[in-house]
Amino acid sequence: MEFKTFVFYFLSAILVFAALRVITSRNPVHAALFLVLAFFTASGVWLLLQAEFLAMALVLVYVGAVMVLFLFVVMMLDINLDRLREGFWGYLPMGAIIALLMVGEMGLVLGGNYLGLFESSVRQAGADESNVQAIGRLMFTEYVYPFELASVILLVGIVAAVALTQREKRKNKSVNPSQQVFVKARDRVRVLQMPAEKRD
Amino acid sequence: MLESYFPVFVFILVGIAFGFAPVLTGLIVAPHRPDSEKLSPYECGFEAFEDARMKFDVRYYLIAIIFILFDLEVAFLLPWATIFKEIANTDSVRWFGFIEMMVFIAILVVGYLYAWAKGALDWE
Repeated sequence: MEFKTFVFYFLSAILVFAALRVITSRNPVHAALFLVLAFFTASGVWLLLQAEFLAMALVLVYVGAVMVLFLFVVMMLDINLDRLREGFWGYLPMGAIIALLMVGEMGLVLGGNYLGLFESSVRQAGADESNVQAIGRLMFTEYVYPFELASVILLVGIVAAVALTQREKRKNKSVNPSQQVFVKARDRVRVLQMPAEKRD
Repeated sequence: MLESYFPVFVFILVGIAFGFAPVLTGLIVAPHRPDSEKLSPYECGFEAFEDARMKFDVRYYLIAIIFILFDLEVAFLLPWATIFKEIANTDSVRWFGFIEMMVFIAILVVGYLYAWAKGALDWE
């Protein structure tokens, strides 16, 4: 237990540092990479909570895929680094209000257990079965409908991404050989009979 | 349960050490006699004259988002695979586990076919 506590504080310290750097680093690419570090340490914390599947999914999906997307977005936007920090004080009051609201909401959600608002309904997985199986049993028997809805949401994602980014095909400069072979001379050249005109 | 992750932890430590050791050894052992030519980015050729940050084609983004979607599909397949036998052995829902995943995949295949038909997978 002692070592576990040490690992928890170690990971948490890295997590808080990385999360702070995400919002304070000037370079958006660095911010995205610090977000990768934050995801990694968060998955370590989840592993300590014995949520193995979620930890692996976090690494696979968020670090592997979502962060690639973030990096592409950052690289696609033509960001002028010098002008990023302008208007910091102007945005501060609004940002502070939103931050306070979010802290309050998270406090209510996380503090509900301590305030005695509700009993935790999270079931502890049995010692002999893995976390993945526990999740699978719930997801594929009790929560089938939300699971199928997830695929519909993914479908909407694909269609939206294709519709937003697909452009008209560029005029292709290659030629079709069979069309070339079957071309006849009269399709291309028209010989006109014109009477000679007399100049006066 | 956490004890079984100890090898992973050891692997992480060894991996970090393996990455840092050659660099540190080079810093300590190798002779340092820098001059301006050695420290320049390219000993021959042009100096960099353009910003490295340039706009990427939006099609990379499309590839990335399609990758995410099918990555998520695989993430859903894993718990299904671990629980599949158990569901199939329950009498009332014998084919249920199979059919639900086939419906899930079929819906995603529709998106795949859409992307394919629209030419989103062609690069020209």
